[in-house]
This record gives sequence, structure tokens and C-alpha cells, in this order.
Amino acid sequence: MGALDGLKIADFSWVGAGPRATKDLADNGATVIKIESRKRLDLGRRSPPFAGDPNDHDGSAFFAQTNTSKQSVTINLSDPRGVDVARQLVAWADVVVENFGPGFMDRIGLGYDELRRIRPDIILASVSVAGKTGPMAGFRGYGNSAAAHSGHAWLSGWPESEPHMPPLAYGDVVAPMFATVAILAALEYRARTGEGQHLDISQIEPMVHVIADLYAEDQPAKPGNDDAQFILHGVFPTAGEDQWIAIAVETDAQAAALAQVLGLAAADADAVAAATATQDKHDLAARLAAQGIAAAPVLDGREVLENPDLAAGGHYVSLDHPVLGRSQMPAPPYRFDRTPAGLFRAPLLGEHNEEVFVNMLGLSREEVMELGREGVLA
Amino acid sequence: MNMLHGLKVLEIADGLVDFGGRMLVELGAEVVTVVEDAPRPHARDLAWHHGKTRLLGDDVAAVARLAQGADVILDGQRNGCRFDLKVPEGCIHIRVSSFGPEVPARPATDLTLMAMSGLMHITGEPDRPPLRFPGEQAYALTGIQAATAALMALYARRRDGAGQGADLSALQSATLSNYREAIMYEWTDRIGRRRGNMLVRGKSGVRQVWPCRDGFVTWSMIDNPGMMRAVVSVMEDAGEAGELAEVDWDNMLVADTPQETIDRWQAIVADFFAGRSKAELGELSLKRGWGLSTISDPQEVRDSEQLKARNLFVPVEDEETGAVTPLPGPLFHPVGAAPRRRFARAIPASSFAGWGRR
Repeated sequence: MGALDGLKIADFSWVGAGPRATKDLADNGATVIKIESRKRLDLGRRSPPFAGDPNDHDGSAFFAQTNTSKQSVTINLSDPRGVDVARQLVAWADVVVENFGPGFMDRIGLGYDELRRIRPDIILASVSVAGKTGPMAGFRGYGNSAAAHSGHAWLSGWPESEPHMPPLAYGDVVAPMFATVAILAALEYRARTGEGQHLDISQIEPMVHVIADLYAEDQPAKPGNDDAQFILHGVFPTAGEDQWIAIAVETDAQAAALAQVLGLAAADADAVAAATATQDKHDLAARLAAQGIAAAPVLDGREVLENPDLAAGGHYVSLDHPVLGRSQMPAPPYRFDRTPAGLFRAPLLGEHNEEVFVNMLGLSREEVMELGREGVLA
Repeated sequence: MNMLHGLKVLEIADGLVDFGGRMLVELGAEVVTVVEDAPRPHARDLAWHHGKTRLLGDDVAAVARLAQGADVILDGQRNGCRFDLKVPEGCIHIRVSSFGPEVPARPATDLTLMAMSGLMHITGEPDRPPLRFPGEQAYALTGIQAATAALMALYARRRDGAGQGADLSALQSATLSNYREAIMYEWTDRIGRRRGNMLVRGKSGVRQVWPCRDGFVTWSMIDNPGMMRAVVSVMEDAGEAGELAEVDWDNMLVADTPQETIDRWQAIVADFFAGRSKAELGELSLKRGWGLSTISDPQEVRDSEQLKARNLFVPVEDEETGAVTPLPGPLFHPVGAAPRRRFARAIPASSFAGWGRR
């Protein structure tokens, strides 16, 4: 039994900023029904890498890893009859999640006030770039917008260099983690009070929170890889093309040990770089760790996938998928003693239409087929 | 009433769980943190521990007694157990370590965890060493996962009344945020490289960061015809669109366009941006749906009208010095009653009055 068994989520979210939150919940036992549409395909299904044909909406590995353990139904929300079916899912759900553009849920008649009329204790979680209030409430952006507006981009990069954008949409990672926390806290609140609420999660604000330590400084500056808490804190070249080791030395004893391992008189950065340049990064990291020094190879994508420490922790779970075949999907980083996570593969588009519309909501099979033909459940 | 009002959380701080405790404070929990033995930079303590009751780890028995009354223990001890913690019935015990219980412990810091996450390999300039993200991202990500695990276990406890333990790996927490590199290798055999501020898609690379009159903005020429038309129409009105006015954005792919053409087009855009301020460009983006963002420095973030309207920064008073520092407060909206906006003086564990008596 998963920690969240019995929890019901109607998931209208797409791409990354919402689906990563509902993946957290689904992997831990919540029933997550993902409301999609062939008329307005989740851009996650169009995102690389693909198993084969990029036009196969079930072939995106990006989508598959972001949507494990969920069910998929197709509803055309631009048709009022589709919205009526969506309302039935809202009535079923404990939590509704969305990350549409500003005003979309209101325009289709699924704003919070309407959801509350359907189910008074509903919890609605909305994820957007800047939040639902304030002068930027209508801002349309993308994952890296939050890096720009939060100071993250300005504080990234080498000292004295121009701002540096994260190499991926980091705001699309951090904000859904906040959304997961928000939803779980709101469930606890509802259990105590019987009240639901509308959770308004901005992408910018979580990105500020995760660099709060820099905002606690009088004059935050971009330090590159330096850290004043450490005697030595950096990344150094090792043998091979674009191979590196990260080393953090906090105490004089560690500095002495580092110098000894590298055969140096003193562990200054230039001498360390010269000494590491001929060594294997994995071997050196192991030797330094044995001396009590924090050191690790800088891993690339292949090395992450094959890393034995991650494998030992069960970081990737191997799942069969009808289009992707056997593939690696990330699991939660925590393991409960009593309520283990249970991942299953991401759904095909509309795979659970019959199960949800007929078996769960009680629509007739004929009605579902008719609405499908008319492009409503599509 | 706050979401987690009355929830008693004992945090044994060692970097990994600190932000998790902060999140729970913000949600209304009573969080008592046992501070690290080794001193840390004041800014980090301030950022991660305001709103908590801070105890010295001087009295093992007192900390063990405290655990007996806790609903949740966020246990970030990486270097062996300092306290004789007996986890009581019904308690949720989140055990956090650098690599998880399956891997023998070895030294790790935020830097070395980030190095192993695969994120550093792709961050920075191609001709320079890999770069970390700003701040302590591996620790922050682990903290969020610690809070998440605690709240999931709380949900399960509401169902059946039983507490439980959970093991949390900081390495996995950091690596989970790298959603692209491992699967890109799995499916394409391609290994990502550092590209600086270039966004490489298909045959061409496009800029992400542009100087403007008073700073920088981020925007990219991507395959979004509506967005491209919105930008070019403003440039046309200003008489600065050049050959961009002739491009049929609906029937071309930036990703398939030769790099020299992209470079020529980007030079036109660069001139347009360079002659305008961040405020002008930001306003145009908001009104016309450009997807452009102004890049804010830390003071601009603190002064942001948006973040002021959202009350993100709150004044936090240092109990010891009286100094007041603006720090991020609410996690999201709506916010409940504000927790204590104080950075408490660390007191001996033996002098703690008890849960609910701060």
C-alpha cells in the first residue's frame, strides 16, 4: 500500500511544471487521472527524446518519465460537453491540478469558484510563472523565465561574466516540488478543518526560496564554484577529454591529506589542478574520500544513468512500455518503511477512457463512443 | 489556523534537511532544530533556520527526550548518530543521508553532490570547468524532498494512525532534478555538453541572454510562430525589423535554419534590444506575449513590484544582534498566519521549555 492510497487527483496540467507534482503523488499511490486532449496535445508528448517517430504521441521518453503511475483520458475542453465530463471528474477528485495560461480555467468554466460549487472541499493547485496575483499575474513565460526573475540567472556563471541561464528549465523542477508540498499540506489542513483551498504556486518564488542563503547576504555576488566556508572548493581537470573532479576541503587536516594524496607541498588551487590533470576522476575521488575529503567525479548523462550509487538506491526503475519498450524511469528519492512507492508506466494517450468514463463515472459505452466520434472525448 | 498548526517537528540539522524544516515552519509547524556542532556561515543559518527554535546539541538526553514528543523527526545526521534517538510510536522519522542506506557513507558536500547529479557537466562555458548552480541546490532539493516525505507519511498516518521511517538520498534528490541528460543518453546515445548561454536545437544554436540598454534580458528565437510574429511586428512598427519582416514564420523551422542565417537574424534582434531598457522590453513582453524575461539582479528581485505584491520578502529579526534582514517567507498563496519572523538565539537543549511552550 502506498502512502497516498485513496487520494484522488484530477490532473489538468501539462508539460513539466504541473506533471512533476502529480508524478510525486501518483508514484506514491494516489490515483491520478490526467486529462489530455488530441485537440490540444500535451507538449510533453512532443518533447524529445523519442523512441522512434517524433509524431507518435506515445513515443516521448520525456513524457513517459514525467507521467509515471498515472491514467490518461482525453477530453476536449473547448467543447462544453467535454467540460461537463470534466466536472464529473472534479466531483470525484480530492485535488485538481492545473498549469494553464492565465484565465484559461475560468474561461472554460472550471475556475476555483465553480470547482467549489461542484465539490465544496476541493483543493485546487495552480502553478504559473508569476502567480495569480500582482502586476505580472498575466505573464506568459517558460521554465527559464523564473530563473531570470528570481535572481538565479544573475547569480549563475563565473564572477564578472554575464548572467547565465540554467541548462534546463529549473523553474519547471522546483515549482512542482513546492506544489507537491502545498497539496500535501492542504490535505492535512482539510483533514483537520474540512476546508479545501486554492493553492497559487508561482515559479519565481520557489526559485528565490532555494537561494535564500544568498539573499541572506548583504551584497549577494556570484561566486562561481568558490565557497568562502571552505579552504578549497572547486572543480579540477582529470585525465581524458572534458573529465573533471569536484573537491571540497573544509579543514586544515583535510588540506594536508589532499596535499599528501596528490604529492604536493600545499593544496593551493593551481597546484591541485596540475596534479589532478593526469589522474582518473573515479579513482582519485575514491582515494580522497578514503582520506575523509569530500570529492566526486563530475558525471555526464551516461555516467548518471550507469552510476552504481544511484543504482544501489533504486533511482531508476525499469518499466515496460508498449512504445518505448523497457526503459528507465526515475523513482522518488525516498523509501518508506511501511508504504513503499509503486511505479507503473506512463499512460498512452486516452488509454483509460473506458475505465474512467464508463466504469468510474458511469457513462454508457455508447455515449462514450458517440462523444468520441464527435470530438468531445478526444 | 495554519496548515500544519500543532505539528511538532524535531530537526537534526546538517545541511541536508534544513530547508525542509524551513518549509514546515512556514506552513505552521513548530520546528525545533538541533544545530550543527561545526559553525556555518551566518547567512546560511539565518536563511535556513529563521522561525525555528534553535538548540545546541550539548545534552544528548535532552534531545532524546524531545524526540519522544515529536510528530516528525527530520534526521540529517550524516556523520553517525550524535543522539540516542528512540523513535516513539506514531512518529515519522525521515532519515537523510548523502547516498542512501545502501551505499557506504563517505564525505559529501553540496558541490560534490551536484557534481554527481549530472547538472554541473552541462552548466557553464564550453572552454571552462563545469559550474555549479548558485547557492546550495543539492541541499535545498534534499530539504524539499524531506518535507515531502514527512507530509506523505503524515497522510498515511491519518489513514491508519501508524508512523513510519523513510530513507532519503541527497544524491537522488539532486539527480532527480536533472530530468534530461540521462534519458537523452538512454535514447540517443548523445552526451550533453556545456553550451554557455546558447540553446542548441537541431542544426542551430540560438542565444538566450541579450544585453539591453540597462542590463540583460532572456529570450530565444524558437519555433513558436505566434511569438516570433509578436516580436517582429513591434520591430516593424519601429522600422527595425529588416529582413525579419519577410520571414514566413509559419512555414519554417528555426531548428533547421543554417547557423549563418540565424546569426544574421539575431544581429537584428540584438540591435533592437540594445536600444531599449529592461522596463520597456519587459512591458512589451507582458502585453504582447513575447516570452521575454528581464534578468533581475538580487536588489531588483528584492524591489520587485510583483514580489512585493505577493509579500515574498519578509523582515526577519536576528534575536542576538537585532539586525533585520529581508528574506523569502511565504512558500505559496494563500498564506496562513505568519510564523515567528525571528532568527532565534541557539540555547542549550537542556533549557528548552518543551513542545508548545516557546
